[in-house]
Amino acid sequence: MRVKLKSGPDQRKFIARIEELSGENVFACYQCGRCSAGCPMASEMDLLPNQIIRLVQMGLEEEVLRSKTLFLCASCFTCESRCPKGIDMARVMEAVRHILDPKGKDAFGPGEISPELAKELPQQVMVSIFRKFAK
Amino acid sequence: MKLHYYPGCTLKQKTTALDISTREAMRRLDVELVEPEGWTCCGAEYPLTEEKIVGLAAPIRTLRQVREEGGDVVVTTCSFCYSVLKRANKAIQDDPLKHKRVNAYLRDDIQIDPLTKERTTDFADYNGEVKVLHLLEYLRDTVGYPKIRERITRDFRGLPVAAYYGCRLLRPQKEMAFDEPDSPHVFEDFLEAVGCAAVDYPFKQECCGSYLSVSLPDAATEASYRVLRSAKMNGAKAITVTCPLCFYNMDHRQEAIKAAYLDFSGLPVLFFTQILAWALGVDKELLGLGEHTVPAAALFSERPSTEVRS
Repeated sequence: MRVKLKSGPDQRKFIARIEELSGENVFACYQCGRCSAGCPMASEMDLLPNQIIRLVQMGLEEEVLRSKTLFLCASCFTCESRCPKGIDMARVMEAVRHILDPKGKDAFGPGEISPELAKELPQQVMVSIFRKFAK
Repeated sequence: MKLHYYPGCTLKQKTTALDISTREAMRRLDVELVEPEGWTCCGAEYPLTEEKIVGLAAPIRTLRQVREEGGDVVVTTCSFCYSVLKRANKAIQDDPLKHKRVNAYLRDDIQIDPLTKERTTDFADYNGEVKVLHLLEYLRDTVGYPKIRERITRDFRGLPVAAYYGCRLLRPQKEMAFDEPDSPHVFEDFLEAVGCAAVDYPFKQECCGSYLSVSLPDAATEASYRVLRSAKMNGAKAITVTCPLCFYNMDHRQEAIKAAYLDFSGLPVLFFTQILAWALGVDKELLGLGEHTVPAAALFSERPSTEVRS
């Protein structure tokens, strides 16, 4: 895929917003890939965690926002514990989810749980998934 | 002695086994568990962005209530509750902006006493005075393993059990400071103290799939399978958890795991408090073994302790 890189005000604004929300310095990342190596959900992802952070560094907002990866992160913090640069990747993921269109569709909303399943699920799992993936 | 105990939402309805075995076990260690008045759900997820400050209100309100009741320690068993309460507490201590905004929001709480109808409002700022402990930490540091060994009436006779930490107890290390993130041992030490043999295996701090078991069941099935298989390959006869969600993923969904991975033949999943309670002589009927999908009752076979372990 050929991507034309720009460094205009839009890109800078996106990067600044991610840094502001996550409290992390995304430019500290030097692409060692340890976050992706340890990620339990990496096999399901279209973009690996280190690729997400690289795209954020380049200000490629659209590519990041349409990635499936955002809704595959279980916030298990394995990446955080392994990052040699001390970046909390789970916070970067959360920051990206935060700036998704607030009027857009829920990535996973209450309508997707059948009443039968809801009877069986622990409350904790419903609270946490809606906190993460619903608006 | 009285101790504040925060059960959390799931323990009151879906996994009462964890709640009841905790109470029964602690009673036999002379600790009376008291719930903070009017506690609510902690929110399950610590808000990870700087702007989602409202997510801190629920855990801080509960912690403030513990302080108002004169408590300086609160224990939890659920890993999610532990993580949220501990991280929220630390945020209030370390981040002046969060301290200011959360307290400004909670100051105007109105509390109505159910009996006297007396209204309390204008709460004093919460500054992180309450210490949040996991029950494993409390058992190790305050009760102490020697006391537990003294009280043990039933012997597991070195039953090989795998300790599963999962994600939330250990990470992020900076904030949780629970144990070594890559080589934890508090859970193993506990199992050894109650007469089991802790099985060492490489997947003890891997993720079980967490809440993705709802949105992506197959991915969670695979993640839980990896953990269970690793424990079983290393000789475990059971795996112990602290978290109701780990329990759900590994126990309630074990049929799906077995169907997807034919080499896996099943492994009982236990709460650490069930092991503790049974060793301390709590009646088997009170362990909530009926909540398990994978039969676990056979692990608790009646054999009186033959020797005093030291």
